[in-house]
Amino acid sequence: MKILFALLAGITVFCAIVHAQWVKVPTANTPLGADGKPNLTATAPRLPDGKPDLSGIWEPISPKYLRDLAADLKPGEVPYQPWAKALVDSRADGSHAREESDANCLPQGIPKIAAAPAPWKIIQSAGTIVILHEAFNLWRQVFLDGRQFAEDLNPSWLGYSIGKWDGDTLVVESKGFNGKTWLDQAGKPTTEALHVTERYRRKNFGTMEIQITIDDPKAYTKPWTVTEEVRLVLNTDLLEFICNENNRDLAHLPGNALQ
Amino acid sequence: MNQSFRALAIALLLLAMPLMAHHSFSAQYDSTKPIKLTGKVTKVEWTNPHIYFYIDVKDEKTGKVTTWALEMGSPNALMRLGWSRNSMKIDDVVNVEATLAKDGSNLANVRTVVLASNGKRLLAGSSEGTTP
Repeated sequence: MKILFALLAGITVFCAIVHAQWVKVPTANTPLGADGKPNLTATAPRLPDGKPDLSGIWEPISPKYLRDLAADLKPGEVPYQPWAKALVDSRADGSHAREESDANCLPQGIPKIAAAPAPWKIIQSAGTIVILHEAFNLWRQVFLDGRQFAEDLNPSWLGYSIGKWDGDTLVVESKGFNGKTWLDQAGKPTTEALHVTERYRRKNFGTMEIQITIDDPKAYTKPWTVTEEVRLVLNTDLLEFICNENNRDLAHLPGNALQ
Repeated sequence: MNQSFRALAIALLLLAMPLMAHHSFSAQYDSTKPIKLTGKVTKVEWTNPHIYFYIDVKDEKTGKVTTWALEMGSPNALMRLGWSRNSMKIDDVVNVEATLAKDGSNLANVRTVVLASNGKRLLAGSSEGTTP
């Protein structure tokens, strides 16, 4: 048991060092505990208008949803169309890894971009929420001004997003995808019919839950839902990340060139 | 107790899990094939999406020198781990713990680098669960 605690202490110290060594600019308005350290379980902050304040820098707690969006579901619970099941099965051994968009420095798509390891930043105003992704210097805009989707959205990598508040939960609907992204590294496909609903709920100062519903009737027989959690990252900021600078990995990945 | 150990095992696994932000790690590297290398740094590519550096490894018996390409995390991930682009220099002798590439090339994904001159241990940004 002593060894266990020593190891856990080691991990804790290691994690603390990781973020302490970056820029020495403390994140403003961070609640502190009696010990003077950030209190990540403090109540989630609100804006003057009473809406939850989701702003901050976030990162996935675990890489498991990057690898498998359905990591928390039971085997067989993803309602694949037969062609989608066959495709995922063919990708299971990694033999098509070169065909994944992000391996080619192209955008990860929604929801994978938030599960990828690079942090992302929410900038919130009453009418628009902007999400800046360090990954490949990408961004999303979520319009909260009541607009509806255009009739014929041009296919895009990260889609078009509109949002509204449901109590303390931000509900983001996204459509207008190009069908070229995988939902995860396991290779769950998407099509241009993809419609993603994300429900963001900041549970406390340091933790946010994102419930994700995948509705893509061309690839899945019915909508399916998963829930991820992300954590606030203190005392850092986003850095430039231009993926296509020196992408040497592609040559070592199996699969066909991306069409 | 068992549960604690399971939690710990998971935590350690997460730490040890390689971090490939932009493609599948398991498609490129074989996690069952760890390798230890010692050699002299000949080149450092401090670039996105992943840093590569190259070392010349000399076979003590035959004297034959082999060049290895070694991959780490992104510059941002390494900066958050305390690295800078000057942490490792050309001609530094390094001890590397890494995972071999599946395609049989002299390529490996680095877990840790130790500078032979001062014993300073540098994590390679391949430790998932801690940082991008």
